[in-house]
Amino acid sequence: MSGMPSASSPEPPRVPHVGSPPRKGRLPLLQRSIRYHRPRAPFCGVGYCTNCLVRVDGRTNVRACQEGFDLPRMKTTANAWPSPSFDLLGIVDVVFPRGIDTLRGFRRPAAFTSLYQRVVRRLSGYDDPPSEAAQQPPPASIRRIVEVAVVGGGVSGSAAADALLRSGVGSVAVLDRDARASTMSGAEMLGRTTAVFLPPPDPAAARPFALAATNDSGQGVEVRARSVIVATGGYDASLLFSGNDRPGVLTAEGAFALSAPGPPPFNRAVVFGGGERAREVLARFPSRISAVAAPGDVNPDLTRLASEQGVPLYPRSLVLSTVGRRRVRGLTLRTRSDGPSFRLGADAIILAHRRVPHPQLFFQAGALMQWRSRAAAYFPIVSETGQTTVPGLYAVGEAAGVSDPAAAVRCAQLTATSIGQRNSSAPSSSNPHSLDLPGELEGYYRELLRQPRGSGKWIACPCEDVLLHEVEDAERRGYRGIEVIKRYTGLGTGLCQGRYCLPDAILLLSILEQRRPSEVGYITQRPPVLPTSLGALASFADSPDEKEAS
Amino acid sequence: MIASPARSSYHTVVVGAGIIGLYTAYHLAHAGAGPILVLDRGFLSGGASGRNGGGVRQQWETPATIRLARESVAAYRRFGREFGYNIWFRQSGYVFVAEDEGQLARLRRVNAVVRGEGLVSRVIDAAEVLRLVPGIRPDAIIGGTYLRTDGILYPFPALWGLYEAVRALGVEVLLGAEVTGIHAPGGRVAAVETSLGRIATEHCVNAAGGWSGELSRRAGLDVPNVATRHEILATEPLKPFLDPMVVRVSDGLYFSQTMRGEVVGGIAPSTTLATRLGMGSSLDFLARMSRGLVGLFPQFRSLRVLRAWSGYYDDTPDGFPVIGTDARLPGFVHANGFGGHGFMLAPASAQRVARAVLGEPSDLDPHLFGPQRFSEPGRALPTERLQLG
Ligand SMILES: Cc1cc2nc3c(=O)[nH]c(=O)nc-3n(C[C@H](O)[C@H](O)[C@H](O)COP(=O)(O)OP(=O)(O)OC[C@H]3O[C@@H](n4cnc5c(N)ncnc54)[C@H](O)[C@@H]3O)c2cc1C
Ligand code: FES
Repeated sequence: MSGMPSASSPEPPRVPHVGSPPRKGRLPLLQRSIRYHRPRAPFCGVGYCTNCLVRVDGRTNVRACQEGFDLPRMKTTANAWPSPSFDLLGIVDVVFPRGIDTLRGFRRPAAFTSLYQRVVRRLSGYDDPPSEAAQQPPPASIRRIVEVAVVGGGVSGSAAADALLRSGVGSVAVLDRDARASTMSGAEMLGRTTAVFLPPPDPAAARPFALAATNDSGQGVEVRARSVIVATGGYDASLLFSGNDRPGVLTAEGAFALSAPGPPPFNRAVVFGGGERAREVLARFPSRISAVAAPGDVNPDLTRLASEQGVPLYPRSLVLSTVGRRRVRGLTLRTRSDGPSFRLGADAIILAHRRVPHPQLFFQAGALMQWRSRAAAYFPIVSETGQTTVPGLYAVGEAAGVSDPAAAVRCAQLTATSIGQRNSSAPSSSNPHSLDLPGELEGYYRELLRQPRGSGKWIACPCEDVLLHEVEDAERRGYRGIEVIKRYTGLGTGLCQGRYCLPDAILLLSILEQRRPSEVGYITQRPPVLPTSLGALASFADSPDEKEAS
Repeated sequence: MIASPARSSYHTVVVGAGIIGLYTAYHLAHAGAGPILVLDRGFLSGGASGRNGGGVRQQWETPATIRLARESVAAYRRFGREFGYNIWFRQSGYVFVAEDEGQLARLRRVNAVVRGEGLVSRVIDAAEVLRLVPGIRPDAIIGGTYLRTDGILYPFPALWGLYEAVRALGVEVLLGAEVTGIHAPGGRVAAVETSLGRIATEHCVNAAGGWSGELSRRAGLDVPNVATRHEILATEPLKPFLDPMVVRVSDGLYFSQTMRGEVVGGIAPSTTLATRLGMGSSLDFLARMSRGLVGLFPQFRSLRVLRAWSGYYDDTPDGFPVIGTDARLPGFVHANGFGGHGFMLAPASAQRVARAVLGEPSDLDPHLFGPQRFSEPGRALPTERLQLG
């Protein structure tokens, strides 16, 4: 396994629930992308990207990874006709190599307006609306009233919950998207429960936090708490290059999830990353990695392992493009500082260059965030005890930027003890720019953007098929800041709500706008954290089935 | 890094770069008024103009509103050719639905007024609602009204098109600049106080949307505008299944399917939450809106909500916007109070605002639209109560 502190709710599971992935050693093509009908295969494997949408039992836009890639049960026709591997509308991708301009195109002649509208509407959306009514209405929502709610039952979340109970905190509820419901030495585990909304606390209330979640039975779950510990972990971020959405482009997490159990869906993959995460990938798939490429230098542990395995290293490399139309058949890279470009044969590229935290709940609750350049991501500003700038809201583990598991456990214990003793201190640094020195990836992207673009599509937002040059064009026209670029191009407005595209987009904008990433801003994080069914949300409208923990 | 104004004095400073402010600047520049400056303290599309449902309808209770709406529909039909951006204005109708005879009777009255203005709206029965809104639960409605030339548009490109057009006409637009007060030494607008310092101007247009009351008060004027927070949500994108905008009379539930396939909609806010929580969202809204949709479409229980957001309506007591010069402060021109319908009324309304700035006669009834109407004694004038959707 990954060795990172385990991810947790609202973060998707690391390992599929049931069933097993396809065994052919190939990634299944499950759908076509929303605009250009590009073939897509699983990317993240853990439920945040939009590359594996299928229909299951009449439910539309279901992520196959969340149902264990139980392919026989799934209708893999989302947005594809007649099938995802041969889709007639795939022609759109070929006919419009520079994309379709829906902002300025289709205006003339006026007589064609309604025809254009019909065509473009037909191209939008993944699947038809659900047509079958559920047999019975979902159960009423449930409400728990506790001292502390812990979001995420992974390594750091569990450590926090244990320590809370030991330090005498009476009632604790742990929410986790994967774990089964149970009670662990006093704490109630709300299993298969995903936190979707944490509004800013109401200081006048006895329990200021009202955390909303949903569970597997489509039920709304509300947890009222005095304090909330967010232990939602992080995820492997994406990377921008030509054809970066091709089947075969995977995150490390995706590679792990797709290979547990069963053989990995690749035979000669290139790992991208120069640190511990890349080393984990190499260690996990000893005979299936053909090369390691890294944006910068490669750390000694990884160098050692690669030489033991006889895997060549390409430090300081730019990934320029994938080779192959339907699947990755190779990669084009270039040695940085205008070195030579070269090709590697590969059937996959595994992205293991950086992990970023899930920031949604912090943003929703109003906690101040800080851009950390080394990780190139936003983290909550926290004190030594994990206290954020919102009193009563804590961050532990990878969500707080602590990625070493042992350290994460120690920090979580410290947080729990301080809550037990009620002596938490507010974070001292509240300057969101304080750590804002240029990081490695900034230099990487600066150089990448100067490269010739070639003929393929650079997808800045795979959910909405937004292209890199569309973002650049918006900037040229004077639109600035991520909120405006989002509205102008649609970047970040897809099914994943920006998880897939935002980390890179922020870096990109900071380069294009020549200002610090923190000044580019972040898209306001709207509820819900993950797409949430109308049924579950509606269940909050009725009086809940309430339980106060003693 | 905020640019500063290029000049020291202007003919008109427009406060607010929303649809109303930008359209006003456009009409002014087009009419050849002197130098124009548009100021906004936020980012482009940060106000209600970037947070709305894109509904454009002409079914209203009063002929005066219907005329503005009708003229605006014509302007939106031309928008793509005029401004270079495609707003995807889709005229596939508005369906108002009634659940009981009382509501239907109200819609019948509206329908008579609308037809009186020469628009071909119709009273429709439950079967026809079902045909227009496939999948709706048949026993949830008894009938409604329908006007095919109403529709929905995509608000953002309208802002981009106007933004680029006004700049091409020489209008300066400064974003991130706040107007903090009005300098009116002789009882007449002489300058605006801003975060960039004092900027001399002969006219100031209050197109500050939900914050117009705040700006008027900063100018020392007592106005009845009230900002009300309205929430809205979008579902995952689906293949096209719904053409018209649907509005339920009883609780203001409305929804449509956008060009991108998302179902976008809202519901009248519960009064306690309407003015709280900044631009945030609430579980209360998510729950009520979801219950409303599931009530109409039981099969949508598994349909997922992608995101929810909110914005401010700028409401007036009688439901009409405020358009015209404030007699108490010559040079101060109102372009506000549009409630939940400023987008659909913007092109025509902004033209009247521009006329007011230029001192040209207006065809708007001052008793309905004028800023002075609220202080007229013993007033018993019509109201515009179809504040739905
Ligand atoms: C959820 C929702 C749904 C809606 N649905 C529809 C619909 O379907 N159809 C429809 O026609 N209308 C709809 N509306 C209403 C419509 O969006 C508004 O009436 C319209 O956008 C108002 O435009 P505006 O330009 O007056 O205000 P805004 O777009 O709000 O612009 C006002 C601007 O003024 C700026 N500002 C304020 N004070 C200052 C200051 N002191 N200094 C500098 N700048 C300042 C703000 O930053 C803001 O950008 C909806 C509104 C909401 C909130
Ligand atoms: S990739 Fe999902 S919103 Fe951009």
